[in-house]
Amino acid sequence: MSCGNPHEQDCSEVLALVYGFLDGEIDDEMRRSIAQHLDECGPCLQQYGLESAVKALVHRSCSCEIAPEHLRVQIVTRIRQISITYVAGEQ
Amino acid sequence: MCATEGGLPTLDFSGSGVGLGSLAMEDDAAEAAEQIPADVTPESPEAVSARFERDAMQYLDQLYGAAMRMTRNPADAEDLVQETYMKAFAAFASFTEGTNLKAWLFRILTNTYINAYRKKQRQPYQTGTDDLSDWQLHEAESHTSRGLRSAEVEALDRLADTDVVEALAAMPEDFRMAVYYADVEGFSYKQIAEIMDTPVGTVMSRLHRGRKLLRASLEEYAIERGLIPATVGGEGGDRS
Repeated sequence: MSCGNPHEQDCSEVLALVYGFLDGEIDDEMRRSIAQHLDECGPCLQQYGLESAVKALVHRSCSCEIAPEHLRVQIVTRIRQISITYVAGEQ
Repeated sequence: MCATEGGLPTLDFSGSGVGLGSLAMEDDAAEAAEQIPADVTPESPEAVSARFERDAMQYLDQLYGAAMRMTRNPADAEDLVQETYMKAFAAFASFTEGTNLKAWLFRILTNTYINAYRKKQRQPYQTGTDDLSDWQLHEAESHTSRGLRSAEVEALDRLADTDVVEALAAMPEDFRMAVYYADVEGFSYKQIAEIMDTPVGTVMSRLHRGRKLLRASLEEYAIERGLIPATVGGEGGDRS
């Protein structure tokens, strides 16, 4: 995918780094260079927009999971029991 | 037929090569609990338990969320999380404060899952909520402010959470969890590598392939739901 215009950084290079860009895994200099490319290049920007939409969608759909209260109670109860047993065993 | 309390097979971390910085767990979490360094005054069991409750229980929802993505059903997710906390508690006395507890817990979750649950997976389970989280993209998001809202992006945005969860659930596990850790938990590639016990390059490849797979699958959902015409779906909309 390319808009056909010359860029300082090649489209394929930018697209290869688009995930690193989205995930905050590339250094500042590269980040600036990719950001500039995205400003200049419609197709790359579209691709970036799509990838960022999917990332946001996964986050939105999966991050509101609430553990059942009885699970919390069960775990805390077991932990306390273990430490009581441990103390009793030492004495 | 889910495992009941205390009824799980013995789990161990042998061969797991846990490498979370100084947190390397030796062989078995239960053993690790016995290995209190000689130069550290041992905490009382009550103090350890109080510290554990204070520091580790705050990640319950997040661990449960990941467990749901792994096991794909609530009963197994509960068992998995409970077992994870028991193993973490057993090893907690030797846990070094200041290191990343959340990543450490996710590592134990992953190990526990691999050792005990992977073999008895059930059918995909649908779940999800309607709440929109107040999540911001990286600062780079401003570059999309030029008005990129293609039909496809808008269609994906309108997909129900249950569709996304289902699409994720259908993906190969390694891809699914890499995407989950990056996109939901916001772990760095390095942390994901530690949690999944794999090189960073493998994490990147799993993310790359997982996201491509997920996007294709979400596009199919969007077409099925009538959110985009079939001719628009697919890579760049040029697939006939």
